[in-house]
This record gives sequence, C-alpha cells and structure tokens, in this order.
Amino acid sequence: MTANLTHYLALSAALFGIGLYGVLARRNAIAVLMGIELMLNAANINFLAFWRFLAPNSVEPQVYVLVVLTVAAAEAAVGLAVVLNVYRSFGTVNLDEIARLKG
Amino acid sequence: MPDKSVIIGDMQAILPMIVLWVTASVIALGDVSLWKRGNKAINPLLAIVGVLVAFKFLVNTPRVASGATAFAKSLAIDPLGQISGIALLVTAVLSILLAWTYLKNRGLDHAEYYVLLLLSLTGAMMMASANDLIVLFLGLEILSFGLYVMAGFARTEERSEEASVKYFLLGAFGSAFLLYGIALVYGATQSTNLEQIRATLSSSSGAPGPMLLAGIGLLIVGLGFKAAIVPFHQWTPDVYEGAPTAATAYMAGAAKIGAFAAMLRVFGALTPVAASWLPAIQILAIVTMVFGNLLAVTQTNVKRLLAYSSIAHAGYLLVAIAALPSETVNGIASNAPDLAVGGALFYLFAYVFMTLGAFGVLVYLSSKGRDVQHVNDLRGLAKREPAAAYAMMFFMLSLGGIPPTMGFMGKWQIFYAAVTGQQIMLAIVMALTSAMAVYYYLRVVWVMCFEETTEAAAPEPVARTGAMAAIMLAAAATIVFGIAPNLLNAITGMGP
Repeated sequence: MTANLTHYLALSAALFGIGLYGVLARRNAIAVLMGIELMLNAANINFLAFWRFLAPNSVEPQVYVLVVLTVAAAEAAVGLAVVLNVYRSFGTVNLDEIARLKG
Repeated sequence: MPDKSVIIGDMQAILPMIVLWVTASVIALGDVSLWKRGNKAINPLLAIVGVLVAFKFLVNTPRVASGATAFAKSLAIDPLGQISGIALLVTAVLSILLAWTYLKNRGLDHAEYYVLLLLSLTGAMMMASANDLIVLFLGLEILSFGLYVMAGFARTEERSEEASVKYFLLGAFGSAFLLYGIALVYGATQSTNLEQIRATLSSSSGAPGPMLLAGIGLLIVGLGFKAAIVPFHQWTPDVYEGAPTAATAYMAGAAKIGAFAAMLRVFGALTPVAASWLPAIQILAIVTMVFGNLLAVTQTNVKRLLAYSSIAHAGYLLVAIAALPSETVNGIASNAPDLAVGGALFYLFAYVFMTLGAFGVLVYLSSKGRDVQHVNDLRGLAKREPAAAYAMMFFMLSLGGIPPTMGFMGKWQIFYAAVTGQQIMLAIVMALTSAMAVYYYLRVVWVMCFEETTEAAAPEPVARTGAMAAIMLAAAATIVFGIAPNLLNAITGMGP
C-alpha cells in the first residue's frame, strides 16, 4: 500500500492536534512555543501533500513552505527574546506564575 | 522576464512601504552611528517625516482601481487598500506623537520603539493590500512581531513583560490557526490568490467540501484572534493594560485596521460560499457585541475599559462583514456590499480617532512616577485639565455613538448597510448594545466632571506637547467628520 493524500492529511491533522494539545496543556512558555511550531509545521506538511498529489507541476506550495519556515524562525527568535526578558524579572517561565495583570 | 513598465508599476505600488522601511533603517542605523543615542528628539521627528512621505506616495499611487493588482496579482492596488493604508498612516502619526511624550516622561526614550513601529506599520499596510492569502499571512506576521516587542517595551516593568509574553503566545497561536486554514483552502481550491479562489468557488456547483469548510473555519479563528473577537479575545484586556499606553494606542489602531481590511478581502472572496460561513459570522458578531459591552461595564481601569470597548467595536465591524455577501436581496441587485465596505472603512477611521484620542488623554496625564490608567485618576479632571477633559468627553461620546460625533456616523453607516443587506437581527442587537455602552462611557465623563479629586498633586510631566497635539487632532477629526462625514470621503476618495 502506498501513501495517498488522505494519509498525509491525517498525519498533518495529528501533528496539528499534538501542537494544539501542547499549547493548551503545557504551562511552560517554551513548551507552548514548541506546540505552536508543531502547528505551523503541520500546515507545511499540508502544503507539500497538496503539491505532490494535486498540483505536481506548480512550484507555489514549495515557495510557501520556505516562506513559512522563515516566518517561523523569526517568530521563534522574537518569542525566545520575549520569554528571556520575562525570565529575568519573574525568575520563571511558568505561565501560571506570570500573572500580575488581573483577569 | 517581465518588461520594465511592469516592474516600475509594481515598485510604485509598494513605494509607501519602501519609504517606511527605509525610514526605519535610517533611524536604527543613525541612532547608533550618527547621533549616537544622544539626540532623542530626532527619532520621532524622522519617523513622522517618513510617515508623511509615505502618505504622499500612497495618495499619489498611479493606477488605483478596483481589481488592479501588482506583483503577479499577489497585491491589490485598489481603493480598499489605499483607504485602509491612509487610516494606518493616520494611526502611525498619532501614535508617534503620543510615544514622543509617553516614552520621554517614562524614561523609555529609545530609537528602537520608532523602528519597530514603522516596520510593523509596513506589515499592516501589506496586510491591507494583500490579494493572496500567503501575502496576508506574511503581512500579519510582520505587523505582529513589532507589536509583541512594543507591548514589552517597558522591559523592566513586570506588567509590560507579562503583556508581551501573553500577546506573543496567543498571537502566534492565532497565526498557526490562520496558516493551517490557508493550507486547507489551498487544498480545496488549488490557489491562495483571492481572485482565483473567488472564481473557482463561483464556478463550482454543489455544497462546499469538508476541507474547504474546515479551512474557512480556521481562517475565522485565526483572524478572530487578531481582531479580538469573542471568544478569541481573552488576551486583549491584559495586553492593553500591561503594555505601555502609547504602544497600546498603536496596537489598538493598527492591528484592528489590518485585521478588518484583511477580513473584508477574504470574506469578499468567499462570497460564493457565503451560506457556509455567514451563520458563524452572525453568531460571532452578536456574541462579541453583547459580551464586549457587558464586560466593559464593570471595569475600573480605563485601559481595560477601552480594551473591552475595542472588542465591542470589533463586533460592530463584524456586522459590516455579515452584510458583505448580500449582493442580491429578494432577487434584486443590492448595493449592500459597497455600503458594508464603505461603512467599515469609515468606522475604522472613527475608531482610530476616538480610541487613540482616549489613550492620548491617558498619555497626556502620565508622568515618570505615575502611569495614569485608573478611572479614579481622572477625578475632577475638568477642573485640573479642562482641555484634556473636554477632549476626553468628546471621545467618550463618540465611542458611545452619540451625535454629532464621528462614532455616531460610523455606526449609522454600518447599521444602514446591515439593514440594506437584510441583516435585521444584527442591526437590532447593534442598536441595543450601543445603548448599553453609553452607560460606561458616560461614567468616565461623570467622574471627570462631577467628582472631586482626592489625591495629592502628582509630579508634573516633563513634556506633553506631542500628546496634546495628538489629542487635539483626534478631537477635531471626531467632531468635524462627525458633522460633515462627506468631507472624509472627499479627502480619502472613499464612498460611493
């Protein structure tokens, strides 16, 4: 049996679900960031699956994946800087303890 | 290889963004090499000059027409992009004036703030003209990266840091939904180009497949996070409260304009399958209007109050989105979509002037030791600072939608579009919740005018000219465009 589009979409949906679970269940800011990265990469798998099975002659999805990878790298850089700054003051990256604002 | 005139046309379309980017680079490099962090006034001045030059190029963009595009159809050069671009540049000028005062009084006077502001503004403008979902995503991220850092700009204050990390995590979470939605829409239509998507959807018969439905749902969630729509709004009050007030003001304006300009485009392109997403938008609009206003009632912090108010305003703007697909009413061609786009753009202008004005008053009153944000800080303001108090009164009346202010005209236009588009239920909820909102806006006015100040005199702020200029500009616009709404249409080339 060879893998078809449905298999790849299922893989990507599972990856998205794992990322989503990570964001909602983990309280460590870095772990949440990792969850978000998984969600972005799930979208990348989708793009590549659609390229392979639906539009093999188009280069667009491959370019999209490169764009998304670049954006995700920039996002990680900004995010880690923000988290580092929080760690300096709060001494923790646990989101439950970073709660000075009411609400 | 495209010929030379195409390349020139493409460059002209993004010239305003190039100008903003160059200005940001000049400030960033100049600050470390030329004026060596010594001259603090030159950064905001340069930033304002850059925005004004960008404005000049934006209004003079050649070939602006509905349906005109650049960069292989990935960027639209149409009135929607141009007008929301003007609204963004207005937001930028007001925010730079506010930041000038606020950062100086709070000892945060660094060039990086203006660099981030200009770069994120570039992203917002790209988002407003995006004719392709990937370009939209890219613009959204460029906008957001700047905002995440600006929210944490007071980097020794815990509240600001917390706002920054919360905004980042929820913003990135929202972006991930948006991107997954884009991927699914691509799979369903084989294109990310909005025009192409619309053409594919209108030519295909039958019900939309599950992949398209899931994609549209995720797009709504992703954009909902950015536009602060209930139930994706939880980050808003905390981020608005914790971020430096000047950054909150910019964030409130730029993120809202970018998100709604993008929504107008995306849902305009999804019109052929409106039956699948319209009920969701209607429910979100009602929930957002009701909860935004209800939660605002109990707030005692002006920044949180304005945060919930901005959520409620997002609900009103969603009403305009819901009127978008009403291209025919009872079989007769209707102008509801045009009215909805025009109304939403007018409302965005009104929102910018009144919200940035209200934040401007807080900035005006803040000094080094004292960050004004509580309602009680405004007690007796009418006696202490009559000019700021009366301006604040106009902003509150306008936010509440009381004539003859711009807020009223904006609400009226959206209301009219909703009625024309047969969204009667939404129009009724909008009218009722607006009436409810008047209560909490007028409470601020009451505190300013009729309660005595109880605190000892606060230290006088060092500089406040910039904030006063921004407040006066915003107040004048709120009243003038409220009395003569056609003037705004004439200036921006907006409207039918």
